[in-house]
Order: sequence, then C-alpha cells, then structure tokens
Amino acid sequence: MLQVEDLHAGYGASEVLTGTTLTVKQGTLVALIGANGAGKTTTMRAISGGIKPSRGKVILDGQEVQGLDASRIASLGLAHSPEGRKVFGPLSVEDNLLLGAYSRLPRFFGYHAQAKPDLDRVYDLFPRLRDRARQSAGTLSGGEQQMLAIGRALMARPKVMLLDEPSMGLAPVIVQEVFRTIRRLKEEGITLLLVEQFAKSALEVADYAYVMERGRIAVEGTPAELGRNERVLAAYLG
Amino acid sequence: MKRILLLRGAELIVFAFLATIPLLVVNPYALGLLTLLAIYGILLIGLDVTVGYLGQVNLAHVAFLGLGAYAAGLVVTKLGMGMVPALLAAALVGLVLGGLLALPALRLEGPQFALATLSFAALSTTALNELEALTGGAQGLSLSRPPILGHTLTPPLFYWLCMVLLALVWMLMRNLLASQWGRAFEALRDSPIATDAMGVGTYKHKVAAFALGSSLGGLAGGLYAFNFQYLQPQSFTYDLMIILLLGVVLGGRKSLWGAFVGATVIVLLPNLLSNRLLFQIFSGLGFAGALAAGVQGLMKKSTRPFQALAPVVAMGLLVVGGLFVENTEDWRKAIFALMLFSVVVGLPEGIMGFLALFLAKLFRVPHAPLPEPADLDTMLPIRPADGSALLVLADLKRYFGGVKAVDGLSMTVRAGTIHGLIGPNGSGKSTVVNVISGLYTPTAGTMQLRGVTLPIGSLYSVAQAGVARTFQNLQLFGELTALENVLVALKGVYRNPLPMVLLGLARREERTAQAQALALLELIGLREQALVKAKDLTYGAQRFLEIARALARKPDLLILDEPAAGLAHPDVLQQIEFIQRIHQRGITIILIEHHMDVVSELCDTVTVLDGGRIIAEGTPDEVKRHPKVVEAYLGQPPQPELPGGAEPLPA
Amino acid sequence: MNAQIIGQMAVSGALMGLVYALIAYGFQLTFATSKSINFGQGELVMISAFFSLTLTNLGFPYWAMVPGGLLFGALMGLVVERAGVRLALEQKSEGWILLSIIIGLFFFSAAENIWGRDDRPFPTPISADPIHILGVDVTRLELSVAVGVFAIMGLIELFKRRTLLGKAFEAVSADRDAAELMGISSTRTVMLSYGLSGSVAALAGILVSPITTVGPTMASALILKAFSVAVVAGLDSGFGVVLVGMFLGALESLASFYLGSGWREAPGLILLILALALRPNGVFGKATIRKV
Repeated sequence: MLQVEDLHAGYGASEVLTGTTLTVKQGTLVALIGANGAGKTTTMRAISGGIKPSRGKVILDGQEVQGLDASRIASLGLAHSPEGRKVFGPLSVEDNLLLGAYSRLPRFFGYHAQAKPDLDRVYDLFPRLRDRARQSAGTLSGGEQQMLAIGRALMARPKVMLLDEPSMGLAPVIVQEVFRTIRRLKEEGITLLLVEQFAKSALEVADYAYVMERGRIAVEGTPAELGRNERVLAAYLG
Repeated sequence: MKRILLLRGAELIVFAFLATIPLLVVNPYALGLLTLLAIYGILLIGLDVTVGYLGQVNLAHVAFLGLGAYAAGLVVTKLGMGMVPALLAAALVGLVLGGLLALPALRLEGPQFALATLSFAALSTTALNELEALTGGAQGLSLSRPPILGHTLTPPLFYWLCMVLLALVWMLMRNLLASQWGRAFEALRDSPIATDAMGVGTYKHKVAAFALGSSLGGLAGGLYAFNFQYLQPQSFTYDLMIILLLGVVLGGRKSLWGAFVGATVIVLLPNLLSNRLLFQIFSGLGFAGALAAGVQGLMKKSTRPFQALAPVVAMGLLVVGGLFVENTEDWRKAIFALMLFSVVVGLPEGIMGFLALFLAKLFRVPHAPLPEPADLDTMLPIRPADGSALLVLADLKRYFGGVKAVDGLSMTVRAGTIHGLIGPNGSGKSTVVNVISGLYTPTAGTMQLRGVTLPIGSLYSVAQAGVARTFQNLQLFGELTALENVLVALKGVYRNPLPMVLLGLARREERTAQAQALALLELIGLREQALVKAKDLTYGAQRFLEIARALARKPDLLILDEPAAGLAHPDVLQQIEFIQRIHQRGITIILIEHHMDVVSELCDTVTVLDGGRIIAEGTPDEVKRHPKVVEAYLGQPPQPELPGGAEPLPA
Repeated sequence: MNAQIIGQMAVSGALMGLVYALIAYGFQLTFATSKSINFGQGELVMISAFFSLTLTNLGFPYWAMVPGGLLFGALMGLVVERAGVRLALEQKSEGWILLSIIIGLFFFSAAENIWGRDDRPFPTPISADPIHILGVDVTRLELSVAVGVFAIMGLIELFKRRTLLGKAFEAVSADRDAAELMGISSTRTVMLSYGLSGSVAALAGILVSPITTVGPTMASALILKAFSVAVVAGLDSGFGVVLVGMFLGALESLASFYLGSGWREAPGLILLILALALRPNGVFGKATIRKV
C-alpha cells in the first residue's frame, strides 16, 4: 500500500534522510523505531509532503506521490497524525474532526450530514470526544488531544495512516490507553505506520518493524526477529 | 594582506578620483550631482545598517533625514551658530530620536517593526508641518551656508566637505563592521536566541545599530539642508523613502560599496527619467539583463519560474510603456515600482552582491594568516571540582496553559560533575533547561547559582551570570565562519571602548581573541575548518561547534541539550570524548540526553524526569535499575518476554 | 464647550473609525493565514473606489456597482498575493513587506495616470441629510458606513464559522502544517484570504468615498490609521479592531477640534507607538511562546 524507496531529504543543507527504504503492506501495522534525531519524524514528513524529498520515491497505492504538496497527498488517501498532535486549538472538537474529512466533503453546506457516519464511528471509538464535541480542542487534556488527533486522521477514511509519537508527553496510564486504541485500529484493518519512542510497546503491536539509524534503515524484521537481535536489544530495548 | 591592499586600493582610487573632479571639471550641474552623491552615500550607509545588517524594513529613515535637516537649519537660523555645531546637532537629533524610537520598536519583528517606523515617519512629517512657529510649516525654511573658519563655502569647497564626511563615515563604519560589533549584527540576524544566550545582548545591539544608522541619516540631513538651503516638510515623504530603499536594495545590502552604488543610481535617476532616449536605452538594457538572467536561471533550475519570469515581465512593461507613454515623468512612481520589483525579485543581493560573487571567483585571495592557538590552560584554567552545590533548583514549575511541563522540580547540581537529565519525549527536560537558561520564566520556584539567585526570563542575563548552553535544534550563526561563531561568544577579551574600535585601534585584542577561539576549535577538532561557514560544516561538526561556542563564554555551568542527537556512531564517540575533555577542565555540565549509553558513559549523577516530575535520581547504574525508570521508558510494567520468546530484556 | 458638541464629535468620529476598523480587519484576514499583510492596502482601497466610480459613471446602479467593486478589489488582492507575497513566503523571507509596498506604488501611479490627480466627488443614492438620534445628528451616509462595515464583517465571520471552507481557513490560521495534512491547501487559503481582504478594502473605499471624495491620495491618511488600529488591537481580534477603530475615530475627531486639524493624525500615531511599547502583541492580541 505504501512503499518508500531510497528516500533522501533534509532541512536546508543538512541531509537527515540518507536513503530510507520501507514498505507497509495493506492491513498491517508497521513500526518505525530509533533514537532521537535518527530521522523517524523526518521520514514521516517526507512521506506526507511536509518536506520535499531530494531523491527517492514514495508510492501510495501504486501512485508516485513524492514532491506533491502535502494537501494533495492527503487527498490521495494518506492521513498523518503528526508528532505533538497538532490539533486546531481554537476550533471545536467536532470541527477538528470534520476538517479531517476535508478532502471528500462539500466545501460550503451539507458537509455535516455527509460526515455523520464517520463522526459516529469516531465518537463510538472515543466516547469522551462526543461529550466534548463543542469544546475547543485547545482545552482538552493531552490524552484527549491525542485521541482527537487519531480520530481526525480516521475521518479521512485513509488508505494509510501515519502515527507519529502518539505517546509523547503522556502519562504512562494514558500511554497504555493509546496503545489499546492502536490495537483496535489494527483490528479494524487500518494500514498503519507507527513511529514510537517506546520501542517495546511498539513492537508488541506491530506486524513488522524497521529500526532507523542516522537517516536510514539499519535493521528490519518481525518483532520476534528484532527481539533476537543483540544490537537492537542493547540500543533500543534496554 | 593582499586582499586588504586590494580593497583599500580600490577605495583610495575612487575617493582620490572623486576629490580631484572639481579641479578638472567646472560644470556646476555635475558638481551639484556629485555633492548629492556624497550626501546620499552617507544616508544610504545609515539605512543599510537597519535594512542590511539588522535585516528589518525601516521606513523611518527619511524622517531622520528631515529631522536632521531641520535641526541643522534651526541651529543656524534660530541660534545663529555655525556649520559645525549644526551638523553635530543634526547627527545628535538622529541618534537620540533614533534611540527613542528603537527602544519600543525593536521589541517587534518584521511587519510590526515596519509599521512602527512608518508611523514615526508620518508623525514627524505632521510635527514639521504643524510646529509652524519653529519650522515655518508648509511655507518652508530658508537658510544660508555659514562660513567655516572664516571661509565661505563655495560649491567645490562644500563638495569637498561632503566627500570628506563620506570618507570618514565610510572608514568608521568599516572598522565597526569588522569588529566584534559587526559580527554581533550578523549573528543576531541568523539567530537572535543564540545571540542572547551567548551573552551578547540582541536587543542592546539592535537599538545601538538603529540609533547609529539614524544618526547618519541626521548627518546627511544636515548636509542636505546646507546643500539646498531651503527645507519643506513635503520633501521628506514616503516617496523619497521608497527611492532610498531602492538605492540600498539595488546597490546591494550589507555593503558600503552597495550604498555608494545605490546613491549613484538615486542621483542619476531623475536625469534618466527626463531624457526619453536615455530611458529607452536603459529599460532595454534592463530587459535584456532580466531576460538573460531569467533564461539562465530556468536552464539551471536554480531559480523558481516566478523568480525568473517576473522581472522579465516587469522590465518588458517598462520597455513597452516607454514606447507609448508621452511623458515618462508622469509615470515616475510606476517606473520606480517596476525597477524595484525586478531587483527585489530577480536580484535580491543587489548589484554589489552580484559583483562580489563574480569578483570573488576572479580574485581568490587567501584570508590573512591566523595566529597560533592560545594556551588553553591560561584562558580556561582548570577549576577545582569540590563537589559543592553549584546550581540549586527548588520546587521549579513551568505551566503552559493547562499543561504542567515542569511540575515541582528540586535538584542540586554539584560543582565539577556531569549531571545527566533524562526522560521520555515531552517529560519536561527541555523545558527545565529553557527555564534555567532564561528562555522561559518559571511559573514558580527558585534557582540559585553558587548561592546567588539566578536572573529569570532573560537569556542574556543568565548568560552574563555564567551559564552557557547549546541547543537541541542547532542555533549556529550560519553565515559566519566557525571561527567567527566562537569569536561572537568569546568572553573577557574585547575591552576596548567604542571610539577605539571606530578608529581601528583595536587590532591587538582581535589577535588575542582569534588565538583563544582557535584554541577552543582545536579542543573539538575543528581548527582546520576555522574559516568554513557554519552552514557549510557537516552536521557532526556543527554539533561540536555549538559546544566550542558555548565554551567561549568560559562558563561556570555548561548545559548541553542533546549533544548527540542525530549523530552517527563514530561522531557520538567523538562527542563523548570532547565532553570528557571539557569535564577534565573542571567545568560543571548538565547533560540532557536520550542515548542511555552516552549518559552511562559520562554522568556522575542522573536525574530522570517523567511528566514534569523527578521519578528517580542517582548514579547511572542505580537509575537504570529503578523500576519507575524502566516503566517510563518502556511504557508498561516490564514483562518477562518479548512476543517472539526472546531473552528477558536487560533492564 | 458643552457635552453636546463633544458627543456629536465623538459619534461622527467613531463612525469614521469604523472605516479604519474595516481596513484593519482586512489586515487580520491575511495575517491569520500567512502572517503577512499588504502594505499597499491603501492603494487597493483607492483604485477600487476609482473603479467603482467608473462603474457608476458608466450607468451601473448602486446595487450592481457594489458587487462589481468588491470583485475588482478581490482580483487586485489576488494580484498582490501572486506577485508580491507568495514567493517571499515560500522563501520565508520578509521581502513581502517591500514587494507589497512596491505593488501599491505601481497601483498609485497607474491610478494617477488613468483617473487623474484630482479629487472627484462620488455620487451615491444615499442622502447626506442629518437625522437626529439620541441627541446627536448623524447623516444617512455615516450610518451607511456602519451598516456596510458590520454587514461584511458579519458575513465573513459567518462564513468562517458555518462553512467547511471557512473552518479550513481557521484551521490554516491555527496550524498551517497540520492543515496541509488534512488536505487543506494553504496556498489556496492564503489566496482566499487576500481575495477577501481585497474585497474588504474595496468596500471601505466605496463606503468612505461619498464622504471624502475620490482621489489618488484619498487613502494615504486612512491607511496609517488602519495600521494603528490593527497594531493596537492586535492582528487577531475582529472585535478588537471595531472597538479600537471607533475609539481612535472619536479621539482624533476631538483632537482636530481642540488642537487644530493638522494634528488629526497624531493620536493614532502616538497610540500606536505607545501600544507597541506597552503591549507589543496588541491590546487584544495573544502572547507567543518562543521555541528553540
């Protein structure tokens, strides 16, 4: 569903990604782990168009999308829940969700009726969001904002969802809740690419995983395989 | 040496030529233009300080020209004093009013700053118009040129006076810009935050620069008054301001030569517009130039299509317009607009920027040789690591809205130790560092350095108090060389007062400073790359350079914010070695790190944060075994096995 | 000096102040999406007024002239965005300040040559006869300014709150990058904001012209005061600009009465510099958190 080949990208003169290659098959959950600054978030941003790759390919459902604007890539079926959640603080929870489905809703009127089934689905998944539908998103707690960010990405009915550091800055109890949610998304058959600093938790839910070092993939394999890899154990699971 | 000779030689030739003109030619019109050239030269050098060096759009410069002109005029007409006091008064008015405007306005950035200066200009026009008793209002103010030392100033004499002043201003500015001040101007444009954090004082330098530029505007105003001998408020309006900006941008920002070229263009512009043939030739040349540059840019794909095409369209409009319009004077504003547009879009570095690039390729002149590195032991004496409490944080809190980023943190950092601060992303490590270093004001709590309360909420004051830091997201001065990056931060060498610097008498301390900076670069293995621009260094070298720059503060406490982030493994090892070298000099270090191995290798004590609170503290081995740490890093209580049935994790 | 005259001056000043508020609102629209404003907005006000005058002279009725003028303003706003702002924003430079000034200068020169340098009256079907309300005299013209200002601001606010496109506009203001990830093109949103801002400027020109006459320099004083209002109120509060605009209008009407008409501009400029010194983000603005 999502293929990344030999991706190079960076900020200004410094190249952060030096040839990343990975594949996410339909209906699977793939984890991307690695140290801070290894290039995980940059990979995500280069895939979703936040930065333009200088070399390499990103193939979404058979179509090359590298170099397109982020908004174009999003409307082609890629939803990216960014690091730090980035909910629209001044807007209400429901508006945040509606905007998640922006690319397939009418621009002026009647959008609410059309988005109703998806809204209900997200509210069923996160009942707490339904209670706070009218509240502005900035007033939610960190955990609720993370739920909203995931819900917003779901609204797009994406072909692939990128989840960047969903546990960042959350208390351990909430982190566990986030991971339960991710498990549920996986059960619903959503194709997911997950970046996570809690390597172990990520490996527990993943079907396949990549370990990044210095802008490229250093090791890959099923969680079981990685669990047997001395280097991975020492560097990321200790 | 060769390069200096070349530059000085060019300056000498040009000024000598300009000085001899009145002896050769006696055309009063040409002399008038040349006098204006000198006046506008001073004016544009002043404007370039804010527009070029500070990188801010300054719309008030024309006001300083006007205020300076009126100040000089009033000193002569109302006080009956001579020309010298009048010119001094003009410069002083610019300096004082410039400083007064800069104090509030330079707290702002970009558009708000432009708006504030625009308002000031409008206010000054209003004042000149309305204070009729003093200025004569819209009627204008007539004055005559008083004699200097009994000599009546004939046009050639007045021309020489203007030229001498231009040469003087030129020399002083050159000395200033080559000094620690000039480097600070460059630095604060690249990273105001780092400039403050290096104890240089962004705000102070900005205000000083703006006041200086404004005083040159005032001085030019004084000369302007004696040149025209008649002043009207409407001479100093927005239209002239736009022409001045055209001069600076077209000539090339951040360059004395650029200001000179710009002044030449401004002086010649009216003639250009009044002569139809000249105008057509000129616009044709402009069009050809834009076309050539555009095509070249498109071929090389170095410029965006818009950037290549827009100047062609604008200049084309000028050519076509020139054929149809009856009187080019009527369209002068549109013509300025099209020219300025083409320059800003197509030639943002200006004529001198373009030429400098070209000349640099032609003459590859080596940099003057650098001194030998200073002795590290004398400049950075080894301090005793007595283990006394250096930094004490008590119940420190910082909330952002409802988010408790740091929530009641108490911690003691002992002198001579490396104190690690670790925790998951978002646990508050960076916020703690930002509070200590003064970027954020704490919501509550106290901080003491050697028993003295640390200043809060000011990077600059904290840096002055002896704390230096690096940044997780690099904050180098990209346009400066590695050496200059260190020089900007260097503490305790630059002592000469400003007048000495202006007169170019501070060369010796510059050598001392270079020697010390080189010693620091050697410490982190970058001596060979001292003259490479920071933005062109490898990522690893940039990380090392940040540390050298922080060390130049000769700090009591050095805070390293994820110094190994994004580094390749060999670089990480290097970095560990550098940090150990620094540690051996007895400098206390707070190390924020994600790499557990780096922390274990280096730290004496480790504090682990989660959710803005301390969950564990102790030696690296102790905290690694702490159950809460294991939980925070793994997200869950440790389970005995991985899904694949692997060995239990080493906790 | 009695309270009645003061009240009268304050009310008509405040009504004029609504025009400043409207222009300032135009700054807010573009600032929200792109953190940029058009420094040549005054020239947009002016050429749109001239264009509307031409429409009127061609025989268009008032109700057809207004939308025509607004459309023209929107188009010119798009020109500013395309020629002056987009490149600079892509390069993250502040070149847009200079470029928008330059484009304004070009518009100014074009207007001077196309429509002439003289001030001309702007015919309107709305009468200039005063009506007596609550002890002060107000003309229907002045009231039409208030009606027009509140109508367009209300419509735009409604658009932002009720339509999905409007919500997308708000989303781009809140977080440009995140909005892109939702499939919202920030480039198009910035265009939309410049178009709207141009229309707002055009309406300001149409509303104010019957009172002040139309000429190339008609907006040079207006725009300075609109800048003051925008900065004093902050660049993100629509409610703030209305309040500050009316306050400033009243203040300067009183200042010109007591100090002489030449000092009319002074309160706005002084208010601006004071506000910058005391509250750089504006009285109604939000503080920003620096990040490293």
